[in-house]
Amino acid sequence: MEKKVLFVAYQSPVGSVWPNEVFRTAFGMYGEDIEPAVLFLDEACVTVSKNTKPELLGLFPLTTCHRLIKRYGTPVYVVKEDLERYNVKEMEEIFNPQILSRVELSDFLHQFDLVIFM
Amino acid sequence: MALILVKYGPSHPVAKLKLETAKEEDRVLLIQNGVYWALEDPSKYTKARVYATKGDFVARGYGEEESKVPLLDYPEVVDLIVENEKFIG
Amino acid sequence: MKITIQVMVPPYSYEDLDTAIKIAEAALDKGHEVTIFLFSDSVLAVNKLVKPVKADRNIPEKLSQLIKEKGLRVEICGICMDYRGVNTDMIIEGSNPSGLPELAELIYTSDRFINLMA
Repeated sequence: MEKKVLFVAYQSPVGSVWPNEVFRTAFGMYGEDIEPAVLFLDEACVTVSKNTKPELLGLFPLTTCHRLIKRYGTPVYVVKEDLERYNVKEMEEIFNPQILSRVELSDFLHQFDLVIFM
Repeated sequence: MALILVKYGPSHPVAKLKLETAKEEDRVLLIQNGVYWALEDPSKYTKARVYATKGDFVARGYGEEESKVPLLDYPEVVDLIVENEKFIG
Repeated sequence: MKITIQVMVPPYSYEDLDTAIKIAEAALDKGHEVTIFLFSDSVLAVNKLVKPVKADRNIPEKLSQLIKEKGLRVEICGICMDYRGVNTDMIIEGSNPSGLPELAELIYTSDRFINLMA
């Protein structure tokens, strides 16, 4: 039976490794009968901004994630209130994020067999 | 019914979110600095039933009687893990 | 029951390895099959060269004891080891360098999966 697993990052994609690690781990699930998804909360929502570029500081870029998400089509979710709070206006199309509101989170989290915060 | 693990205290946004989004049938286990939540009546911050690890609570300078939630030893923590198939943490 | 516990933060700086060890030992004592999966900075927990001061606990030694005496399995993210300069000569006997395919397998086949990151 397929397992539904949600990987959640809440820390910034610039200054922490976690949004990148969330993607890397989610992509690693496809060898098994696992349906991974990714949720960005709080500062991690900046990951889906078109203008976020860790490489400007010499940090590991998000471009590897862009390439792999194109291949796998892993669902990406972000929270509307977080996007507003962190002023994310233009989103990177490759992520094609689905936007949830904060009040939907309880039912959303309970749809998964496992929710792994990183 | 999910087991929700909370490792951080009331000042942490993710701990707060996990407790707020918990459902009545869920079980919350407070571990490490998550035990600071145990100083308050759980009905103030979550709908779920809440437990805390006894060792973590006592090691932070509190008497067992100060906890507003049941305190568990590790064998009881394992029982809680076994009882709950889904996991959020 | 097959139980996997994932750890991500470094030993000694935080309590996660200690929590993982306590849960693992209690579960092993109850007859469960337990694996600890070390991801990111937590891979430092299998470095047998660590030298804690006398008053402190020796985490690699405790893991090693649980592997030998109670059948604990310890899997280590190989890329995470490379990133931190931990090689196979440095790790405790019985721990296994692996990777995301093994993590995916553990997530899929475990009856219970516990993540200690957040």
